[in-house]
Amino acid sequence: MTARLGCEDLGIGVGLRVPHYGYVFENRPPIDFFEVISENFMISGGKPLDNLGRALDHYPVVQHGVSLNIGGPEPIDREYLTRLKQLVRRTNTPWVSDHFCWCGAGGAHLHDLLPLPYTEAAIARVAERAKMIQDFLEVPFALENTSSYLTYNASQVSEWQFVSEVVERADVGLMFDVNNVFVSAYNHGFDAYEFIHGIPHERIVQIHLAGHTNVGTHIIDTHSGSVADPVWDLYRETIELAGPVSTLVEWDDEIPDFPVLLAEAERARTVRDRAIAARDERVAQGGSPAPTRTKSLVPEPTGVTASDGAGWVQGGPREHATV
Amino acid sequence: MSDAELTALQERITELLREPRALSKNDQAVALAELHISGNDRLAPVEQLNIYREQFWLRHTSALVEDFPGLGGVLGQRDWERLVEAYLLKEAPTSWTLNDLGHAFVEHVEQQASWLPHAKLCLDMARVEWGYCQLFSAPDVPALDGGKIAAIPEHAWPTATLVLSPALRRFQVDYPVCELRKAIVKSRDTGETVPIPQPDPHNLVLYRNDRRLFFERVSDAAYALLQRLDDGEPLEEACGSVASEIPGAADEVEANVAAWFQRWGAETWVVDVRTR
Ligand SMILES: [Fe+2]
Repeated sequence: MTARLGCEDLGIGVGLRVPHYGYVFENRPPIDFFEVISENFMISGGKPLDNLGRALDHYPVVQHGVSLNIGGPEPIDREYLTRLKQLVRRTNTPWVSDHFCWCGAGGAHLHDLLPLPYTEAAIARVAERAKMIQDFLEVPFALENTSSYLTYNASQVSEWQFVSEVVERADVGLMFDVNNVFVSAYNHGFDAYEFIHGIPHERIVQIHLAGHTNVGTHIIDTHSGSVADPVWDLYRETIELAGPVSTLVEWDDEIPDFPVLLAEAERARTVRDRAIAARDERVAQGGSPAPTRTKSLVPEPTGVTASDGAGWVQGGPREHATV
Repeated sequence: MSDAELTALQERITELLREPRALSKNDQAVALAELHISGNDRLAPVEQLNIYREQFWLRHTSALVEDFPGLGGVLGQRDWERLVEAYLLKEAPTSWTLNDLGHAFVEHVEQQASWLPHAKLCLDMARVEWGYCQLFSAPDVPALDGGKIAAIPEHAWPTATLVLSPALRRFQVDYPVCELRKAIVKSRDTGETVPIPQPDPHNLVLYRNDRRLFFERVSDAAYALLQRLDDGEPLEEACGSVASEIPGAADEVEANVAAWFQRWGAETWVVDVRTR
């Protein structure tokens, strides 16, 4: 396999979100790329496509989906895939991603990223479809590890073993969300560094960073606020293991002014540069580029940041009709 | 766990996540969670499942609030929540896009009319708001081609058919719904109370032009003409039918048809003319 399925390093990007359109189109801020939620633009016409076009005039745009439902019981929706491919043609996205999850069953679509049990049946189902989707789209396809709030008794392997097995079997990429590793490590009590060391780093085509909301009993992946300090540490370790990978900061709730988001992206750039330098340094001294695992983190229950009412809306506010 | 067992579990979980009340007192949910979900020392298995149930309701109710702000404003919090809960219980979201969530909401409002305050206004508002949702992402089509229009010979006009924009909807409503919707949306910032308006029957055109959504009132004759043109009737025949069917419309059509056509082209209501 070519490293990262041939996906180039785009640098540091942020999610393109409705409240920032005015600023972005007027000021053309220095950001390496934008990520869009595919579903927002899988439409026949109107303002969203116009805004997408304006972004494409000046920036590379990568597509990230939230509704594929790769792990659900029903076969993949052909109409969805066709529209997705039409959008791929429009954006020229270098890769397409969605999530290791299921979104509903019995014909219902719950618009959520529900975790799968880590079993052979689920691996087989997801891997077969992932391969088919990548062949159909004719661009590299990557799946993202999600934040989860429950685990199943039926699981036979760890989440990182599950993730690794699927991407290897399907020969697809990994969209690696470092914040999701932290969130799930907190919610399920595993070691975040074990996860990070346990995945095929050469398959990581993109990294996600985001803030989260701790409600005490669990953390919700709200994409709200700055990236947490332990998540920056996990990111540094990931880059040291994987090398320079396109990295994106997601911020979808209580969205700040664009310069605040840009500062967060610049912080990612600094952390990434240092991690790449450390990696190069090891190689220069005749060592392996990847660090051996010395760290460990099973996040302790602490630091409640919200008491309740935290919601998850990936992709931030929807584009919708206002008059 | 086989593939069939995985499917069965997912179907069961999907049903439970659509439950409107917390799952901790739901015996079936507790039993299923105890059997299949791990839990931890902070959350019981059923509480973990309930996190997803809460997200289901939060996400879908807020999507409906975004798409039907006027209706929410007319009803007020309690009645709105009752209406939405009944809708989401009856209609499972089935589309991959939340844009389709309100596809059966107008029908639902009609069915719930017996208990809804201002039921007729609510129905008008729901129809128009769903219209806005549809206009928002309707296909883009090129505007009327001036060169092509100029080249149409005089004798071809009577039998020509007009193509209306896919981003246009017509409504006959009993209340000033668009003005009310605007006032309700504005009142969210100002905190003002918006009174329920008096009936004011009129014809309404919603349309998209240059990415923006607009509404405009039109006369009975103009509305009827648009309807006939939309049904594919040739221009002369459509004008004739309207003139004979609506009292007093003959003079109005005669006097205005040229100006209407010009304006409807400029506002992208008419996007093409087909000649025989
Ligand atoms: Fe993510």
